Amino acid sequence: MAAVQTTSERALNKVAIISVLIVTIIFLAPIYWIVSTSFKPRHLATTVPPTIVFEPEISPFVKLTLRRSQLREQPTPEEYTAAPWWERLVFDGGEKIVRSGRGEVQLSGYPSRFVNSLIIAITSTILAVAMGTITAYGFSRFKMPGEQDWLFFILSTRMLPPVVVAIPMFLMYRVVGLNDTHVGLIILYTAFNLSFSVWLMKGFIDEIPKEYEEAALVDGYTRMEAFFKVVLPEAATGIAATAVFCFITAWNEYAFALIMTRRDAQTAPPFIPSQVGSGLPDWTVIAAGTFLFLLPVAIFTFLLRNHLLRGMSFGAIRK
Amino acid sequence: MTTEIQLRNLQKWFGSNQVIKDFDLTIAAHEFIVMLGQSGCGKTTTLRAIAGLESIDEGDILIEGEPVQHLKCSDRDIAMVFQSFSLYPHMTVYENIAFPLRATRMAKTELDAAVREIARVLQISDLLDKKPSALSGGDMQRVAIGRALVRQPKAMLMDEPIGALDAKLREQMRAEIKRLHIKQGSTTVYVTHDQVEAMSLADRIVIMHDGKLQQVGPPEEVYLHPANLFVAQFVGSPVMNIADIDIGSAGGGAEIRLAGSDKGFAFGEGALSGISRDAPVALGIRPEAVLLSQSNAKGHLPAVTTNIEPLGSHDIVDVKIGDQTLRARTESGFVGGEGQEVWVNLDPEQAHFFDRESGLSLRKAG
Ligand SMILES: Nc1ncnc2c1ncn2[C@@H]1O[C@H](COP(=O)(O)OP(=O)(O)OP(=O)(O)O)[C@@H](O)[C@H]1O
Ligand SMILES: [Mg+2]
Repeated sequence: MAAVQTTSERALNKVAIISVLIVTIIFLAPIYWIVSTSFKPRHLATTVPPTIVFEPEISPFVKLTLRRSQLREQPTPEEYTAAPWWERLVFDGGEKIVRSGRGEVQLSGYPSRFVNSLIIAITSTILAVAMGTITAYGFSRFKMPGEQDWLFFILSTRMLPPVVVAIPMFLMYRVVGLNDTHVGLIILYTAFNLSFSVWLMKGFIDEIPKEYEEAALVDGYTRMEAFFKVVLPEAATGIAATAVFCFITAWNEYAFALIMTRRDAQTAPPFIPSQVGSGLPDWTVIAAGTFLFLLPVAIFTFLLRNHLLRGMSFGAIRK
Repeated sequence: MTTEIQLRNLQKWFGSNQVIKDFDLTIAAHEFIVMLGQSGCGKTTTLRAIAGLESIDEGDILIEGEPVQHLKCSDRDIAMVFQSFSLYPHMTVYENIAFPLRATRMAKTELDAAVREIARVLQISDLLDKKPSALSGGDMQRVAIGRALVRQPKAMLMDEPIGALDAKLREQMRAEIKRLHIKQGSTTVYVTHDQVEAMSLADRIVIMHDGKLQQVGPPEEVYLHPANLFVAQFVGSPVMNIADIDIGSAGGGAEIRLAGSDKGFAFGEGALSGISRDAPVALGIRPEAVLLSQSNAKGHLPAVTTNIEPLGSHDIVDVKIGDQTLRARTESGFVGGEGQEVWVNLDPEQAHFFDRESGLSLRKAG
């Protein structure tokens, strides 16, 4: 392909590269803004035009994770030098870290919200993908009366937007005591993702020739063993793709979380904006929270990228 | 590995479509049976029924005298080679071959020895670390056979195992399968729609049509004494000539007149003993039994050539007698061209007679 390029081809190439660059910049700009803001001192966060070059500091992350309050009076020089480096960062910002009677630091609301998000998203993803795979296998391999109707019914559970369902769910959850519990949100997200998981996995499993399992059956394995030893490894790509989709949905979910959780099981999405409203917002802290919130999806997607590239074609290219 | 398989009165429906009809067959131990038939005649379904992948609606399947139709396939101890090979893509060749043994919880060293031995026999020892996607068609087929043989199953079922390979490789694999069968001696049922494969491999050929068994017998018997019109036309290439005839008598023998022709071929009375002269009869005659001559010898009838297919080793010549066309096999270049006048005779020894209505052969077998 190292053949001679005509001038027009070369020009076209340049145009293509420049367009890709522009699009990339447009897409990455908000992310850069968030990331850079989360490393800025507070007074640089809201400058117009935005500061591009600055000395990064991690005080926003300290402020994000620890409880703090406004300084009434400046700390004495002794207090200042006795404080650890991260506490000094907070002093520098005109705030102080709240300590208990015994002098222990306390965590802010963010870490527990983040952990809640992790627990709920991971558990519901595992459940939705596992149940979806088994259900899809059943639909794919066995004949059952009304198969198409069942599949449509499963899909239809996804057709109502969450906000429509949220109020009735809230009332029902109140009766059974599931409001503001991890289990409650896990059930909700699993149910919400299940229809999607079934449909996606059915597509992938349909692509796996049933002769693979039949060979295993003839070779002396039970159907269960054939499923685990032959079908599952073959479906790994599809499982990875489905898991990423389910995880992203559960991780980012806002409407249910806003209505169904308050404190104990609150996830990060409704918590982060709630901080904007409390007092004069410290945008660096909000940016830091948002930045950390972006990380798990990015890491998860990155780890599964090889499976995803094949999986995203929805089984169209299979070798 | 020495197992008799019996199929008794098998019936199988897919919805209202009966795919296997009154199927009776006893397969002897060590025997190599080839099921031959057109696409859709039920070969695969029969094989899958033996393996236990397909349920049957009526009848019995007996392995070593024990009915197995209610056993799961994992309990039947039968190996199967699928047309698509079905090698597990996520496993190496070694793991593919070892997979059936792992189901038996065999000791590691024993398993390793068994896998390497079968790989040696099949000449795939150097492929053991590869993934199936890196193999050629012939090698995939060897691995598939290896996976089936490694467990030393009671019987081997093969569903068009070399149908997907190109012609040259097919010939080579055919010889290899034969060699393996002679060596291992496992009872084998082999499905194909290629009659050359069937002829060259089979101890006995089973010919199926529309879910019904048509004839069972050694290859030469099926070729020389087809039981009915379907078998007569299905086995042999080029296809056997079938012509409507009248049977008259002339000069102390019988005279075979092709329909639409006023003269006939003189057959000795013996060739026609026991055949009714009243019912409509069809003559079957293979192209090699249609004898052409350039001159009017005794008993020959005049004919005109209408088409010539030169095939290198021989020619296939179409000749028109009356309004019937027969195909004859001649030496290459025997007839110069189309539209030539030639003289035709038929070899009574190789003539077959069929009941026009039932299609059954009117000649006693043997
Ligand atoms: N699962 C099934 N459901 C319904 N009909 C089926 C099923 N499997 C096979 N059939 C039908 O049964 C008949 C016999 O099929 P089978 O696969 O046994 O034929 P075959 O002789 O193996 O043909 P081929 O040479 O094409 O492989 C065909 O008409 C086919 O359409
Ligand atoms: Mg078939």
